Amino acid sequence: MIPRYQRVFFWILAGAILLMALFLLRGCEQAREKLTRHRDETPIAAPVATPSQSVQLALADDADGSIVMVQRDVALPAESTARAHALLARLIAEYSYKTSAHPIESGPAVDDVFLLDLPLHPAIATGARTPRTSSAQPAQSAGSQVPASQLAVVNLHGTFADHHPSGIEAETLTVESIVGTLYANFPRIEQVRFLVDGQPRETLNGHADLLRTYPVLNTATRPAQGNH
Amino acid sequence: MTPSRKFAVILLAALAGAAVTAFSVRAQLQGQPGAPPPVVAGLPPVNRNLIVLDPAHGAGDGGAVLGDHVLEKDITLAIASRLKAALAADGFNVVTTRDTGGSDLLSADQRAETANRAHPVACIVLHATATGSGVHIYTSPLPPPPAPNQTTNTPPVFVPIPWETAQAVFVGQSHDLATGLSTALSKDHLPALVGQAPIRPLDNLMCPAVAIELAPLPAPGVGATQPTDASYQQQVANALAAAIQAWRAQRWPQ
Repeated sequence: MIPRYQRVFFWILAGAILLMALFLLRGCEQAREKLTRHRDETPIAAPVATPSQSVQLALADDADGSIVMVQRDVALPAESTARAHALLARLIAEYSYKTSAHPIESGPAVDDVFLLDLPLHPAIATGARTPRTSSAQPAQSAGSQVPASQLAVVNLHGTFADHHPSGIEAETLTVESIVGTLYANFPRIEQVRFLVDGQPRETLNGHADLLRTYPVLNTATRPAQGNH
Repeated sequence: MTPSRKFAVILLAALAGAAVTAFSVRAQLQGQPGAPPPVVAGLPPVNRNLIVLDPAHGAGDGGAVLGDHVLEKDITLAIASRLKAALAADGFNVVTTRDTGGSDLLSADQRAETANRAHPVACIVLHATATGSGVHIYTSPLPPPPAPNQTTNTPPVFVPIPWETAQAVFVGQSHDLATGLSTALSKDHLPALVGQAPIRPLDNLMCPAVAIELAPLPAPGVGATQPTDASYQQQVANALAAAIQAWRAQRWPQ
């Protein structure tokens, strides 16, 4: 025979469990409402159909240390920095294939690409010592149509750099592959600098120097000389 | 003519003859193939018996991870000790930028400072990797400095050598050294790859300098020999020592 006080205690506990379950369910519903209440799904820009176009990628090969230009059809945005970003993302994606001759772990590699007109400090570069109010002639006339050369600043993800294969050859080929791809597709870019997570970093992953400014060259015409 | 005047005339004639002989010998040496390259203005003469070895990484910087959790810093140190022994057997004095007892991590600039103070005949930076194949030999990508204008008669002026491009003066000699090492390795059936790489401290070294990167050695049928293999390291060290000896004999004859 179960004493009466134990039966009462049991039903009180059962009721408390039920109340707590209801309270929990209600809390979950409120949280979901709160999250979805401010979601704005209004389209802010009309989608643009971008046709595929032929681009050149400088692909590296670890076997002989060479870089070869290959053509790919890629849909790229029109804006320069977004275009450079998409192009480099595509380049690194090529290296994540299992059959790649220069394998790199898949994942986001390039965070941003910034294109800056050169020279960065025109007053210093032209040796101008006159004050701003002087009537000295500007170095370049206003009507000049010659486009300025550019400096590309490539901001890499820290995880990409940390997980990149470590070695002189592997890291140098990646850097030269990026430089060669920019050379082939952006004629105004003359120099490239690298950042990692927005900060200067000494090396990619212990070897290739990332503190220097790289002149943009056709790296495909300068394969390493091999004896095998 | 008094005896003292006779003696003075003979002494002057002897001095003039010695000067003419010295100039003619110097001119012949400069015209000969294989003669020592001219000493770079403003730099002390090199120590032709001294080699600087730089086993890359160290202390908290392990470098790449190879094979069964072996760190690159340990492999570069092992190769350096083998190469040091082989070079010492050939009569070289060897300075290493770190040894087994070193616990402090030297920066690239500090390693270059160590090498530049010694004025060695060559600097060898050692690396190891798990990617690629064979032995990779790299030199600095810096362009050589423009040749001085011989036609102008302007007096020489002091031009400081920038730290970031110190290697430019020696780029030609570094290429020669890399080619010599590559040829010697190939003769020893070790595949070699020669190229240029933007790695530190190559650009800051004031000596003929190369970076040697040991990669897995492809072996048909049995899989690749890893850089951790002691016999592979010894084979490379012996080939490098012999090649450095031959290069020095050609470029810096006694």
